[in-house]
Amino acid sequence: MAKPPFGRRILVVDDDRGLRHVLSELLQGAGHQVASAGDGPEALATLGDGSGFDLVLLDIGLPSMSGLDVLGHIRNMASPPLVIVMTADDTSATLLEAVRRQAYRYIRKPFPPSAVIDVVSESGTPASALSIEVVSAKPEWLEIVAPCTLEMADRIQSFVLHLEANLPEAVREAVASAFRELLTNAIEWGGKFDPNRKVRISCVRTSRLLLYRIADPGEGFDIDKLRHAAITNPDDDPMRHLQVREEQGLRPGGFGLAMTRSLVDDLIYNEARNEVILIKYLDEGE
Amino acid sequence: MATRMRVIERRIGDVTILQLIGRLELETGDIILRDTINRLVEAGQVKLVLDMKEVTRLDSAGIGMLVSKYLTVRRAGGSIKILHPTERTDHLMDITKLTTVFEVFDDEASAVKSFGAATHGV
Repeated sequence: MAKPPFGRRILVVDDDRGLRHVLSELLQGAGHQVASAGDGPEALATLGDGSGFDLVLLDIGLPSMSGLDVLGHIRNMASPPLVIVMTADDTSATLLEAVRRQAYRYIRKPFPPSAVIDVVSESGTPASALSIEVVSAKPEWLEIVAPCTLEMADRIQSFVLHLEANLPEAVREAVASAFRELLTNAIEWGGKFDPNRKVRISCVRTSRLLLYRIADPGEGFDIDKLRHAAITNPDDDPMRHLQVREEQGLRPGGFGLAMTRSLVDDLIYNEARNEVILIKYLDEGE
Repeated sequence: MATRMRVIERRIGDVTILQLIGRLELETGDIILRDTINRLVEAGQVKLVLDMKEVTRLDSAGIGMLVSKYLTVRRAGGSIKILHPTERTDHLMDITKLTTVFEVFDDEASAVKSFGAATHGV
């Protein structure tokens, strides 16, 4: 497939002919060049060595060859495109296997049309795609090691949030915000946005709690020298730290720790403060 | 590469309404918000209402930029008012104590009127 002047070269793989048609029309309308396939063998034949495509929107529940198997084949191609997995099967096992096979993002069916457009526009290029190392892919213990980039933060958050899909909305939102803040901190301050440096993330789930541990490659920080963070502000001056940040040439911000502390039940740093654990306790039935 | 936040801009008298749509987060919406408000301040438009009804995600960098631009506009003699914060935005502003900084409104007319006189006309 020739590369269009704008947009991406996308292969839509789904055995639902109606959905293939709708997605193809939608993506073409957004300026992308789109081909489609109804099953795994047809998808692999269309992809060839992968170099003609930037993205694959891949259904998991395909006939004859599962989407996860297709994903495995794509991963071994000479020029693998990015794969966005879309499925109604949101069991942890499926999701974790998709992560292990380097799926780029995950969309749960049914989804609004805008979600597809958003996830496609948020995607990087195959050349810039970095790998996630999966250390443990058990539903109760996910552990990954990933490069320190913001794009990776979006990918990780996409998968982790789907793992917690059965939690009440308020709990999910609180945990998502807290996790995002700590992960961004680790990638920005610990990893300096350097894709050669790695952040290690563990997500542990029991019946009564969620525990996230994030270890960054930085040297940590001294809490007494955090005058550029909102947690050191006096109660009557919630903007004092912004003056410090301006003097130090830092971007506006510094509210991350203050936000996180309010969103979770426990926030514990190690001695160097380059590893952090956040805990959210769950009520019975959550 | 995250989805870029969009900003729809319109005027009511000498008040500028900025409708923010999408993610107000690090390296996405925060930069767009900064550039938009800096341009308005340079043009002398310093009575700003930020309609946040369609902000889908907000992080500490987004909040930081809101406050930073609030200070920029104040120094230029104007102000920023917040309109239609979502429950989530309201909660984040509350826990960062910024509800003591920004005036927050549930309807546009009241937000515009809060700037006082010389706001008639559309």
